[in-house]
Amino acid sequence: MSKPSFLLSALAGVGGLWRKKAANALDEDLKSADPERRGQALFRVGRTHMRLGEIEPAISYFDQALELLPNFAEAAAARAESLDMLGRLDVAHSDYQRARELWARQHPGAPDRSYVFRQRGRFTFEVESYELALARIKTGSFPHLGWGNALLAQGRPQEALACYERALKIKQNDPDLTALKGEALAMMGKYRDAIKAFDVALAANPKSVETINAHGIACAALGELDMANGDWRRQLQLLPKWQPAARACVALRLADYEAALPELEQAIAKDPHEPYWQLYRLTALRRLGHPVPAVETPAGAAWPAVLIDLQCGRATPDDARHRAETKGEEAEALFQIGVLAVASNPQAAQGCWREVVERAPPALVEYAAARNELSRPGP
Amino acid sequence: MFSVIIYGRNDSHGYNLHKRAAISFNALAEVMSDPDDEILFVDYNTPDDHPTFPEAIHDTLTDKARKVMRIFRVRPEQHVHLKSKTHLVALEAQSRNVALRRSNPNNRWVLYTNTDMLLVSREPGQSLSQILGEVPDGFYQIPRFEIPEMLWEAAFDRKDPAGNLEKLRDWSVRYHLNQIVHNFMPMRYDALGDFQAALRDDMFTIHGFDETMILGWHCDSNLAARLALYRGRVDTLIDKVFGYHCDHTRVAAANNKGRKTTMNSHDQYIWNVSSPYVPAQADSWGWPDVEIEEVHLDRDTSYQRYTAGLDKAIKPATTPFINTSCEWHLFDDLTYDLPHTLPFVCDQVLTYPKATALMIVATRADFVREFAVAWRGMGFTGPILLPKECALDVEDPAIESGRFADLLKRTELFLFEFGLKTQKIDDPVRTGREESPVDRKQLKLVERLFRQAASTEGETRPPSKRLPRRFIGVNVIYNKYWPIFTDYVGANINPFCSQVLAGVPLAVPVTVKEKILKFRKKKAA
Repeated sequence: MSKPSFLLSALAGVGGLWRKKAANALDEDLKSADPERRGQALFRVGRTHMRLGEIEPAISYFDQALELLPNFAEAAAARAESLDMLGRLDVAHSDYQRARELWARQHPGAPDRSYVFRQRGRFTFEVESYELALARIKTGSFPHLGWGNALLAQGRPQEALACYERALKIKQNDPDLTALKGEALAMMGKYRDAIKAFDVALAANPKSVETINAHGIACAALGELDMANGDWRRQLQLLPKWQPAARACVALRLADYEAALPELEQAIAKDPHEPYWQLYRLTALRRLGHPVPAVETPAGAAWPAVLIDLQCGRATPDDARHRAETKGEEAEALFQIGVLAVASNPQAAQGCWREVVERAPPALVEYAAARNELSRPGP
Repeated sequence: MFSVIIYGRNDSHGYNLHKRAAISFNALAEVMSDPDDEILFVDYNTPDDHPTFPEAIHDTLTDKARKVMRIFRVRPEQHVHLKSKTHLVALEAQSRNVALRRSNPNNRWVLYTNTDMLLVSREPGQSLSQILGEVPDGFYQIPRFEIPEMLWEAAFDRKDPAGNLEKLRDWSVRYHLNQIVHNFMPMRYDALGDFQAALRDDMFTIHGFDETMILGWHCDSNLAARLALYRGRVDTLIDKVFGYHCDHTRVAAANNKGRKTTMNSHDQYIWNVSSPYVPAQADSWGWPDVEIEEVHLDRDTSYQRYTAGLDKAIKPATTPFINTSCEWHLFDDLTYDLPHTLPFVCDQVLTYPKATALMIVATRADFVREFAVAWRGMGFTGPILLPKECALDVEDPAIESGRFADLLKRTELFLFEFGLKTQKIDDPVRTGREESPVDRKQLKLVERLFRQAASTEGETRPPSKRLPRRFIGVNVIYNKYWPIFTDYVGANINPFCSQVLAGVPLAVPVTVKEKILKFRKKKAA
């Protein structure tokens, strides 16, 4: 056997092992009791059938995935496309619509943070595509990056970190990849390591507003508020005027309501249906001692509608706390309860904000705002 | 609701470009229903003396297409700083960014496509404006379906977009046109550049197309990679609209040399993209500080400007025809008919920027006077620079007098007229008239200034100009100034009737020695 063909056969074996491993992982996921894992596995089997032109079995897998995960937009979209391929556009139409609505309903992250946190979806389709790309593209970091981002957006920083590390092996010392590695480390609570990564990224691109923001968040998490505020002030300087929502969020992190208010007004003019800008505007008005207008409860979204109702006197602090479903929502509620209380009972307000600092994820706008509120001289 | 962004130039890119583009412009306009919708065509690097591409085919466009189209003209002088870095004459990233920067801020969406696409909504009667108005924020692609050349060329009527879209609905079934070609993420489909719909805000945030991509190809994939990173997903509008491409591979386009095609690096711009942003061009993408001319097809058109200028300068003819002659025995007669010549002169300048500074060196005062009237009438705002040395007593708001040597450094376009100073407007033309001493003196002056201007063009160019300036010669065909003009200027052979030659100065003027050698060679042969 010649040398090249020997190598090829050896590599083919490695490839076979990899495929076997992947297939085993899929089998395990299909047996999993966790609906998320099983649902995603069913989707992937459905996609395989779809690729093979076996449309009816594909639809059946997507149906099963949707039964387990009714908000699985990717499965709804794939089901729609399958039905469309069968000429059943009338039925497909509602699935296409459903998928778009599901994606749209997921709230994106704060606009002053990395783009990764503003993404919406499970990204199962994308991850599958990146996996396929990786089988062919050996010298490209992009599929690793895309895959890593999908994992990070889903709150899986350890796996994301592994993807970024692989990408960095191909594109060594890349500042953008290093910044994302920092985001993954920060999400894992490794703030000092994250800051090191952000410093490397910022040395190459000192005007990267998203990295500056992330650096600030990591500093704040370590209790270094002055340094964090310095980052956010710089970010505010660098952010263009036509990004009022991002500028407002940075100003809110600084608890600089005077700076935040005009930005929020512009953000509302640009996107009147975003309830957070309405809520934050009420927050700013109240903290600046201005009259707070009655704002209609936004239709559709349960959260943060209750917080707007709270600010407008249509809901109680208890209502707000009870409606919170996640740690983040709970912190948002506590922060607003503090804002509501500060004029009449500053100590109660401080208690709420202290709780925010103790319990909220440091990346939350309210976490930074609460820290800044607490750093100011008391009444 | 949306701005369509396309680009091109007035050349012949690929097979039957004019028909393809007209079909496409009209079809794109046909699916627009929002008053803010627009087609932004960046006419990149068309020579200054040509009209833009859409102007050249405007008569084949529907009223709606003409109404929604805004043309941004990027002049050769604005491209010259990139000329040495690329083999291409039209740059995609720069073009698309110039349009994006200047797009209607009321529009939520930007649609990147090309001048050979037709979009067919799956629900008959639904406009693309409605479709894009209903879908959530995102980054959308659709697959591209091919139309065989025979079908679009033979059966489409350029001015019947609705009929063409109907035909496509029929053909797609009869001829199995609808084949989706899937691709790896981030290119969800093959040939993705023919339909990428992104939020205008997103495009501003990611700093537009990457302007370092100047070797052609993959600009669309790079955008897809960056938007896929930014949004996390690439969504499809396949349930809403089908996109059809007029195949044009009978003749390879300028950027297609088969396996020898030079391209932007696949690895660098797709597989190793690591950020949605291009921070290096954050402040400069789309040339925000560069003044880009905007041309419309439904108002202030070139034709309107041209006729407005001429109507001010000349009166209609009172006879069915006039006579002149190119017989050789009249070679020395430099009389010419001014009202007949002026339209051809104006034709030479019309496509230049309105602020152009034009130097006129002439023998006849009436020529200068009438030209100045036409110049202003055509909407030019730049000055007519008239050297004092000409000693012509003409007053016009557009005319600025000065020393020839000073004016040379401000001139952007030259106009040299070789006639007889003594000729009056009603004098007969080409009847064997000889030069008077006054005529001879003036002609000598014009000839001297011409030789000086042409031979020193490179040294006297204004600092803002990097390309050679154009010389227009009036009354330089079939007379003694024909060889003199063409010794210095690379002009085409034009019919005598047009009276006008034009071109840029030759790198090295034709010398007397060269002429003698050529003559001897001819004799020897």
